[in-house]
Amino acid sequence: MNGEIKKMTGTSAGPALVKSRCHLQVKKSLCVLVQHGMCVFGSGRRGPGGPTEYRCLVERILYTLRFPRYIYTAKSLYGDTGELIVEEVLQRGEMTMSSVVKTVADRLTHNMEDGRSMDYSEVISAFSSLVDTHFLQRCLAACGKGNAATSSEKTPNSSAATPESLTDCYKLPQINLRGRGKRRRSSGDSDVDQRGGKRAKLENKEVNRTLCGDEGVFWQVNFERFHLHFRDQAIISAVASKMDQTSSEIVRTMLRISEMTTQPNAAYTQPLSANEIFRALPASYNISRSTLDQYLTLLVDDPMEFVGKSGDSGGGMYVVNLHKALANLARATLESVVQERFGSRSARIFRLLLRKRHLEQKQVEDFAMIPAKEAKDMLYTLLSENLVQLQEIPKTPDHAPSRTFYLYTVNQLPTARMLLQHCYKTVGNLIERRLFETRENKRHLEKSQRIEAILASLQVSGAEPAQLTEVEEMITAPERQQLEALKHHINKMDSSENQVDETIFLLESYISSTKTSH
Amino acid sequence: MAEVKVKQESADAADIESRIRELCQQFPHGITDQVIQNDMPHVEAQQRAMAINRLLSVGQLDLLRNSSGLLYRLKDTQAASKMKGSDNQEKLVYQVIEDAGNKGIWSRDIRYKSNLPLTEINKILKNLENKKLIKAVKSVAASKKKVYMLYNLQPDRSVTGGAWYSDQDFESEFVEVLNQQCFKFLQSKAEAARDSKQSPMVQRNSSFATSHEVWKYISELGISKVELSMEDIETILNTLIYDGKVEMTIIAAKEGTVGSVDGQVKLYRGVNPIIQPTGLVRTPCGLCPVFEDCCDGGEISPSTCTYMTEWLDF
Repeated sequence: MNGEIKKMTGTSAGPALVKSRCHLQVKKSLCVLVQHGMCVFGSGRRGPGGPTEYRCLVERILYTLRFPRYIYTAKSLYGDTGELIVEEVLQRGEMTMSSVVKTVADRLTHNMEDGRSMDYSEVISAFSSLVDTHFLQRCLAACGKGNAATSSEKTPNSSAATPESLTDCYKLPQINLRGRGKRRRSSGDSDVDQRGGKRAKLENKEVNRTLCGDEGVFWQVNFERFHLHFRDQAIISAVASKMDQTSSEIVRTMLRISEMTTQPNAAYTQPLSANEIFRALPASYNISRSTLDQYLTLLVDDPMEFVGKSGDSGGGMYVVNLHKALANLARATLESVVQERFGSRSARIFRLLLRKRHLEQKQVEDFAMIPAKEAKDMLYTLLSENLVQLQEIPKTPDHAPSRTFYLYTVNQLPTARMLLQHCYKTVGNLIERRLFETRENKRHLEKSQRIEAILASLQVSGAEPAQLTEVEEMITAPERQQLEALKHHINKMDSSENQVDETIFLLESYISSTKTSH
Repeated sequence: MAEVKVKQESADAADIESRIRELCQQFPHGITDQVIQNDMPHVEAQQRAMAINRLLSVGQLDLLRNSSGLLYRLKDTQAASKMKGSDNQEKLVYQVIEDAGNKGIWSRDIRYKSNLPLTEINKILKNLENKKLIKAVKSVAASKKKVYMLYNLQPDRSVTGGAWYSDQDFESEFVEVLNQQCFKFLQSKAEAARDSKQSPMVQRNSSFATSHEVWKYISELGISKVELSMEDIETILNTLIYDGKVEMTIIAAKEGTVGSVDGQVKLYRGVNPIIQPTGLVRTPCGLCPVFEDCCDGGEISPSTCTYMTEWLDF
């Protein structure tokens, strides 16, 4: 249902176009999309008096692919608490702080041992650290979002209605929430509770309804911040593989110091003096000041130019070249695709053309030291896949082929865009195949679910082991094997979707970095 | 009186010729008409011209042209003796071929330069080949083309292809072997530097190898039957750069240090790739040859893809 709506609201359409479906369902689906920030609405082309129009934000929908990565990052930075907080906010789209804290505390308590429960204050502290480092941010009010949809018609000044434009975007509200997480009662006690439980539930509801002081303040995940974090990670791992661990630690420190002070689309971080870097290095790396200077000089001299020197005060001012690093990573991605798809000799030709820009056929053969026939073949294959372009330079005005120079060239940006489209299609194919496999095996899945339910109920009602084994044997061995294979397949496809998403992220960051600098 | 004048003229003529020859010996690069005139101002232009023509026809003077005019140069007597048996046409063709140096010249170009008909050219070329004065060399660029050059000259690299070609065939295995050997050498040097655990600057500098060192290593390995020059090794190292396995820097070096060319020394170092093979190529779609034709519901679609089936069962 949501998928169909998404297809239709590609640009701007009203709910009137989806007449074939039930009106109520359409409204519900639109609400879900708006809640998650994937769709904005506002007064349409006919002005404030006409029907409202809805527009879907394609990038937000594509971020869904990256949810596992966001959750994993939150886990690595802030532990299980952070992971659950981000997971909850991602699932609901936007939530108030108090509801997040309560839900997360309950979930954590459920997984703990008996008798222990999670204090709200711990969850609150994790939440505030997420907000302080800008991973979570306040949402715009609903009407504010609507104005953002039609802002393209207004003057540019009013179109910057982003969450960052709110002055207290990252200010935590004052809430008076004290307590501990409640353990969800197991189903065994549910019967006992039901009679006395109604009253208990009513009491709980009243407790929950006490105002916590942050009504109307909704929080959402700040995707851009996560993306900056991913970008930093990519740069650090590139430095680590190219040079060594210590250099990557130095770059990590530099990026950490300039996290808050650098604009999201900046080409360089703010200049940092060597003194600052030395002071900020983690305590476990006790390298001397002179060694640090040597590492910094090596980083600056490296042909990849991850780090640049912008001055000599304070022991040397250094910046991290963000756009250049992204371009290098994108170039390495392109080269890796050519290498895996066409072989290492074609990759040699591709890298040669990237370095030397424009070359004639003969020059390509000479530089790459590949026999003429094979080089020709490889160049034509790359040309047919549009990874390499041909530039004609005529010697005479009539462009006669015998008197024209034909130069091969590689343009990094258009090639990156083309590969990005391939990535999107690949992800679509993987999702398609996953759904297909699930559909094919629906019967088996349903059967196994029914049997599990029967088993669970039998266990609760205290059946004999003989009965249990009898029920278990209702699933035959080949069926079990098939289910195992299905699980394996689906896991594989899920993980490969994540891997392709990494490529998508690199290429997207590179392309958007070129947009801002030109 | 007339007799005396004639005698004087003939004596003068011989004198002029010998004087011209002496001047040529004084200036081995060649002398212009102006120089002869300055030396013998009493000689008339006609007499000068006659003397020069006679020397040319005898074959003792060479006529050259440079930007300022005509130059006369003393011809090598040894070369002069070679052509004793040939006639003028052959001499002309021989001169054209000699001018081409060690790049050789194609028969059609000889025809253009000498304006002789094709049959004549062929006869002359055959004659000269029999006399072992010129030879034909097959060009590597176009295998049917034959270029002619002097017998004792080494063909230029552009014609034979240099060390990488043996009889017009590009030796790809030889290049591959050299490629791998150079890379192994640089990689082991880099590893040794990394394991030495010295300060990072020293580590990096000791992982570099100059092109001269690599050249020495390869020559000592003895895997090449042909003598390889430093430029050859540098072209091999460049292919390693294009493979992404090696990087190069140029530093200034004193003239006279071993291996320096024009005061620069090229340093090479083995490097690691900066990313692992990217996510897209780990899926079958990234490598699929029919990626463009694949669509939902078509003959080739994700649901029926055999590549995916094989990959999932892996």
